Amino acid sequence: MRLLTKASLRYLTHHRLQLLLSVLGVALGVAVVLSIDLAIQSAQTGFRISAETVSGRTTHVLVSDLGSVDERLLNTVRIDLDITASAPVVEGFATSSVLPGRALRILGIDPFSEGPFRPYVAGGSTGLDVSELMTTRTGVVLPASLAEEGGVSVGDSLPMVVEGEAWSVPLVAIIEPADELARAGLADVALMDVAGAQEVLRMVGRLSRIDLRISDDEAGSAELEAIAGALPDGVGIESVGTRSETMSGMIGAFDVNLTALSLLALIFGMFLIYNAVTFSVVQRREILGRLRALGVTRDEIVRLILTEALWIGIVGALLGTLVGIFLARGLVGMVTRTINDLYFSVSVQGIDLRPFLFAKACVLGVGATLLAALPPALEAAGANPRMAALRSVVEGRARVLVPRAALVGSILCAVGIGVLSIPTRNLVVSFTGLFFIITGLALITPAGTLVLVAAVRPLLGRVWGTLGLMAARGVGASLSRTAPAIAALVVAVSVTVGLGVMIQSFRGTLVQWLDGTLRADVYVSLPGPTASRAAGTMWPEVIEDFVGHPEVSGYSTYRGMDLVRDGEAFRLVALELDPRGEGAFDFLEGSSSDIMARFRAGEGVIASEPYVFRRGLERGDSVTLSTASGDRALRIIGVFYDYGSEQGTVMMSRSLYDRLFDDPGVTSLGLFLEEGADSERVVGDLLALVPPGRAVIARTNDTLRSASLEVFDRTFQVTAVLRLLAFVVAFVGVLSALAALQLERARELGLLRASGMTPGQLARLVVTQTGLIGLAAGVLAVPMGIALSIVMIFVVNKRSFGWTLNMEVGPEVLLQAVGLALVGAILAGVYPAWKMSRTSPALALRGE
Amino acid sequence: MNDRGPSIELIDVHKSYEEGERTHEVLTGTSVSIRAGERVAILGPSGSGKSTLLNLISGIDLPDSGTIRVGGTDLGALTERDRTLFRRDHIGFVFQFFNLLPTLTVLENLLLPLELTGSTNGRADDRARELLAAVELEARAGAFPDRLSGGEQQRIAIARALVHEPDLLLADEPTGNLDQDTGTRVVEALEALVAAQGTTMIVVTHSRELAGRMDRILELDHGRLREG
Ligand SMILES: Nc1ncnc2c1ncn2[C@@H]1O[C@H](COP(=O)(O)OP(=O)(O)O)[C@@H](O)[C@H]1O
Ligand SMILES: [Mg+2]
Repeated sequence: MRLLTKASLRYLTHHRLQLLLSVLGVALGVAVVLSIDLAIQSAQTGFRISAETVSGRTTHVLVSDLGSVDERLLNTVRIDLDITASAPVVEGFATSSVLPGRALRILGIDPFSEGPFRPYVAGGSTGLDVSELMTTRTGVVLPASLAEEGGVSVGDSLPMVVEGEAWSVPLVAIIEPADELARAGLADVALMDVAGAQEVLRMVGRLSRIDLRISDDEAGSAELEAIAGALPDGVGIESVGTRSETMSGMIGAFDVNLTALSLLALIFGMFLIYNAVTFSVVQRREILGRLRALGVTRDEIVRLILTEALWIGIVGALLGTLVGIFLARGLVGMVTRTINDLYFSVSVQGIDLRPFLFAKACVLGVGATLLAALPPALEAAGANPRMAALRSVVEGRARVLVPRAALVGSILCAVGIGVLSIPTRNLVVSFTGLFFIITGLALITPAGTLVLVAAVRPLLGRVWGTLGLMAARGVGASLSRTAPAIAALVVAVSVTVGLGVMIQSFRGTLVQWLDGTLRADVYVSLPGPTASRAAGTMWPEVIEDFVGHPEVSGYSTYRGMDLVRDGEAFRLVALELDPRGEGAFDFLEGSSSDIMARFRAGEGVIASEPYVFRRGLERGDSVTLSTASGDRALRIIGVFYDYGSEQGTVMMSRSLYDRLFDDPGVTSLGLFLEEGADSERVVGDLLALVPPGRAVIARTNDTLRSASLEVFDRTFQVTAVLRLLAFVVAFVGVLSALAALQLERARELGLLRASGMTPGQLARLVVTQTGLIGLAAGVLAVPMGIALSIVMIFVVNKRSFGWTLNMEVGPEVLLQAVGLALVGAILAGVYPAWKMSRTSPALALRGE
Repeated sequence: MNDRGPSIELIDVHKSYEEGERTHEVLTGTSVSIRAGERVAILGPSGSGKSTLLNLISGIDLPDSGTIRVGGTDLGALTERDRTLFRRDHIGFVFQFFNLLPTLTVLENLLLPLELTGSTNGRADDRARELLAAVELEARAGAFPDRLSGGEQQRIAIARALVHEPDLLLADEPTGNLDQDTGTRVVEALEALVAAQGTTMIVVTHSRELAGRMDRILELDHGRLREG
């Protein structure tokens, strides 16, 4: 082995704590990036596999913007157009008491049409006898895994709740999917005959879609043209890819936000590496200078330091992948739940350990390590070979660098602001701008620290005398080594503040919005698979019973449908409002009473802020909807704040809806009670009115409110975890950098001990100094954190979701930040202080 | 490098350092010529620019103006990298302290210059041990430097500075950190090796006694060298 390599390996193994911390930094960064990637990937894979399994070999589908198509369309396709490769599909969700916590995907199919589409249905390897499905109208077929989980076997009946209706359906067969993929894809599927599915899903006469198989040649294109010409209004033909893209596109912003957060952890890890490598270079400054005098070239020194970093990077990355897999197991649950809460039902069978993601995380980890090690490596190459590379010279240079760094930092911030003001909805651009600003702020911190420390110096002098002055001066004098640590701490704390303020503002806005929106006393809906979104159709007789309750003095009805138009999902809502519910909307502009009067009169629709934001529309523009009688353009008469859906919502009065659509259904109900009525008791009464075999969810205003906030808190759970992890990485970095700094001062401190300073005084000196750094970092982090939160709230969040949030800065977030920084820094001083006070000054003086 | 004629030539060398706003002139146009094989002592008060001078001669630093030739090579005409390689091949260095790599054993420290100059054949080991024997520290070959006394460390440093047979040895206060007796032993080791190899040598020192053992004494005074 080459001697230089040997020397550096021995150096690393002699500084085990330092080595361990840098490896840990890389490992944590890699672990966070990998686990988030794995979690998102697994959720997407889960979604994709089930989408692919369910669509089988389907190439195109006939769907309606209205959500379902008339089943007579199938005859048109088969008889008039002579397309035999076509199959009806009815889809929906159910729950079962024997399969708690699961959403069952009901897939209603026609066994005789299935031949070209879904091999697992069409017999063959699975051995499913299609006639089984035909014998009983509502018979269901389960995959073996589900049957086993539910403890049911053929002949048993399976209890099921579908849109609030209890069913007991016979299990007519069990299929054992032939391969792993089909097994994963079918993991939550309950197969039924079309007619049976229509019955339980209350879709008699309707189909969710018609699957087609069209060849990819000229004959195929001709067929497509013929179909397009024969389709009734509101029905379109889509290729299968487009459909699943629309679905996975829904979670795009969610993905980007999580990924950005995970990269943040990696960047904090980079600070750690930078700290550790800088420190190792500083510690070896003399030796590196000697090597240069011996004739070791700059390139060789750079290579030496980078090779050390490379090993740290490799070991850290390997360790990180192990931790990442472990972390992913926890995160995938959270991510999946959020997707289920907010977007659509997805079942994730396991973690998709895609080699590419491991490679990506490792390359990122090693790359980040090398990048972080490059500046100190270059600095090492410039190490003055002359022995008089006195610290004062180095520190002097550091001081010259401080204002320059601040200048560069300001420029970076300006560039960041410039990038952010590019009018685009591209999140990558937003995050690039944000990262520019964060880096810029990091560069400004050393200057900020100097200013702050200079400000408190007189005070320290008065309180602690010379000792206080020494501590304050020490911060400035050791800036070349403390600056990265301080910057890391400030950035970590300010990001924590930024995220904290953003979440707080978000929650505050949501609470305010819920207060304004939830006007009714009791809300009634059907149980469904997606927590934040009511679905299904309530029974008219139940509605009648409910509004007839003596203490109910008025009601609003709500009809909500999730639609897709032009590849974008949105929610269409029809409202019949009790006058007390009319004030629920808060409009971006215009008089609320005017808008609501026009709304009642059916002069147009109102659209939510995310809806217009995503489509670049504004008040006065029009929205085109597919109605029962073809496309209709409707004017947007108002834009309202809405935090219920990021996809966007269009609302119209019930009377307008009834004119445009042939759909008398009601999805949910808001009941207004007589003055002084006890809503809890009324809820009890109402539930007692529900006939057996049916289920509704009736909630008081308060319950619904807290349920909504619960969903919110769950959504931000991942963010909170990442915020914590990122902070831990930075915290460890600061702890190690400051502790190492103090340990390195052993000689100087030994001198102080030798000249009569007591261990107690010494401890106070060290802790005061690190504490000062912590205080400075905490204080600097507050304005920076607020600046970051402004960007996150008004740029990133707005672009991600189209929501305007009211910024809310609570004192607890700020105090927490300063406290955290202070505690971290003081802790960092305690170990070296303790260690120094235990070693004899003579030993410390001997030094190296 | 040739044996006869001047080994080192400084012609009107200026060097100053920026210190905040003002510049501090350390060398103010000094010239000197040193023959090959000559042993020269440089005296001068602390801060007079002795180390600066050695840095210029070894190509670690460049003068603001003037010419420096070592063995006929104009250092100013070389790139930074070439100056480093030149130093590696032709110059040995001994400093006041921090000479040895703490993470290499004594023997490995001696092998390092050989490895750097690419002579890593089986003879390298013999050569290193030979030098260790010359400074009477054979027994400590496997020890790490921090186990050695200051005088022992300096003797190892001398052995290392000469192990690759440089043409020029630069020593910056090699005994500055040692007591008189130890210092004398170190100087004797130095003289013996230099004599054996015929190396040109420049020693910066505060010790009149050490200076007296050299062929020639130069004094650095107000930025210029003059014969002492
Ligand atoms: N890199 C440097 N930057 C600024 N001043 C320096 C630098 N190196 C040396 N000096 C100054 O140059 C003068 C000469 O230094 P030096 O050559 O080390 O003196 P000597 O070795 O004779 O004690 C001193 O005043 C010293 O402070
Ligand atoms: Mg000197």
